Amino acid sequence: MSKISIPLGPQHPGLKEPINFGLVLEGEQIDKATVNLGYNHRGVEKAAEERTYIQDIYLIERVCGICSHSHVTCYITCVEEIAKAEIPERAKAIRVLVGELERIHSHLLWLGIAAYEIGFDTLFMYVWRDREHVLDCLELVGGNRVHYSINTLGGVRRDITPEIKAELLKRIDILEARTKYYTTLATEETTVLVRTQNVGMLPRDLAIKLGACGPTARASGVARDVRKDEPYLIYDKLDFKLITHDTCDVFGRVVVRVLETVESCKIIRQVLNYLPEGPISIKVPWKIPAGEAVNRYEAPRGEDIHYVKGNGTDKPERVKVRAPTLANYHAVPHMLEGGWLADVPLVIAAIDPCMSCSDRALITDRAAATSAVWSWEQMRRNGIEFYKRRGVDFSKVTLK
Amino acid sequence: MSELELEERFKKRLEEKFGGDITELTIQRRRRLWLTVKPERLVDMMRFLCSEMEFNHLATITGMDLGENLAAFYHATDQHNIITVRALTPRANPAGRSAPGTDCGESRPVPSLPTVRDVFPGTESYERELEDLFGIKIEGLPPGRHYPLPDDFPPGQHPLRKDWKLTDAYPEPAVKEAK
Repeated sequence: MSKISIPLGPQHPGLKEPINFGLVLEGEQIDKATVNLGYNHRGVEKAAEERTYIQDIYLIERVCGICSHSHVTCYITCVEEIAKAEIPERAKAIRVLVGELERIHSHLLWLGIAAYEIGFDTLFMYVWRDREHVLDCLELVGGNRVHYSINTLGGVRRDITPEIKAELLKRIDILEARTKYYTTLATEETTVLVRTQNVGMLPRDLAIKLGACGPTARASGVARDVRKDEPYLIYDKLDFKLITHDTCDVFGRVVVRVLETVESCKIIRQVLNYLPEGPISIKVPWKIPAGEAVNRYEAPRGEDIHYVKGNGTDKPERVKVRAPTLANYHAVPHMLEGGWLADVPLVIAAIDPCMSCSDRALITDRAAATSAVWSWEQMRRNGIEFYKRRGVDFSKVTLK
Repeated sequence: MSELELEERFKKRLEEKFGGDITELTIQRRRRLWLTVKPERLVDMMRFLCSEMEFNHLATITGMDLGENLAAFYHATDQHNIITVRALTPRANPAGRSAPGTDCGESRPVPSLPTVRDVFPGTESYERELEDLFGIKIEGLPPGRHYPLPDDFPPGQHPLRKDWKLTDAYPEPAVKEAK
């Protein structure tokens, strides 16, 4: 049979983000797969060099919509290390708390997507309904559902009051009960089993060789977790399990994530009960001394690493971001090869990819310094002009 | 027992193996080691770290513009410690010819560094970033598409170099149209 090459993406090959795969098919089976990235490059690293450390907190938070807290915590740990600022214990605990809430939010989001790719839409809707609980928790703590901006230089912005604590404990109980139900469902329901077992195989040695990280690596039996390997914040004081699975397939990735969600619930309870008294932040000078630091953080998708170099001013000399998805991409072609075309979206989704994270960086308009912010009207006018040049006229459309 | 015993041991092993080829070997703090290696020994260094010292995960490569030199920082980890290996390459050769010190007078484009893909196969996108964003030619990297810049990005422009400005690539920002 002759081989056929088809492009998959960049329009949403799995998840609603741009990435392109080149697939060579022999019938329905994948003979070879390649990955093309770079559709989402925004120039965050360049932009970060031109902003102050404080402004960068809000910029780096926008590297990713799902693991916004992960990136900022990783970045800010580097900055505080250069500034030699020891943040209060209570602030550390709150950072962990938000980090684990974020992990639950991310893993449940992923489980929903995976269910959707499997074709099990009931599960998708159930999971996303329950995910609202954790989004409410995040809103309660940080004031926002996605970009909670809890971090600031020298600590956190908001405290946990006894009322918030009580509410969080209540919601965590619900989340834990629901997640346990999903654990049973994911490991026993035939629909899930037949679609995930022996699909997207990534053997252990290959996972190590290709530098895979996070749940993708852990599902291949690689016991890597920055929280255990190099405990940061207060993780050395917490009791939780490092979840691994040895089936090396999509099923393993489902199991690892649901069990990790249960562990996160445990961590949150421990943190809330531990929460030491004291201030939530200290003052850090705006000018950070010259120096460099590199730190890692276990984001929901895996190891996140940031490098920051200071030059004695209030702006960093260099900020480097490596999101976990970029480390996992190289494993995807191996997972796809030998598999079936119908499984492709599921396998891609199984690394929980985040394209914006990986492509990061720029061209955040410096030119915008002169033109500032566009009004809604300006944007609309520009849009109408843009389409007019392409032969479509939207100018008759009225807005409410 | 010294608090930095393990780090001292790493330092000793690296000094024994690479001697004069490494400079600025410092223990920054617990779990963090920094050093600079001659570019021609870079691949040997990565192979040694990976196979002899169990630093089998190259977390990422950070590019740097140091003015006269461009640099790449290789952050290798054994999951508990990070050894950052710096390799420097001249930004430009004033004579516009081969870099000094290369074997047999063979011309070698400047700035350039060897690929470490043979040791860490998962690093292709990090190396392409160095090529696109810093203009460091990675020798041994197979031809491929741009990453992460768009395919039609003006050639010879490298946004993360300090002297690059947005207007270099986009002389008339589209923003002006709306005014």
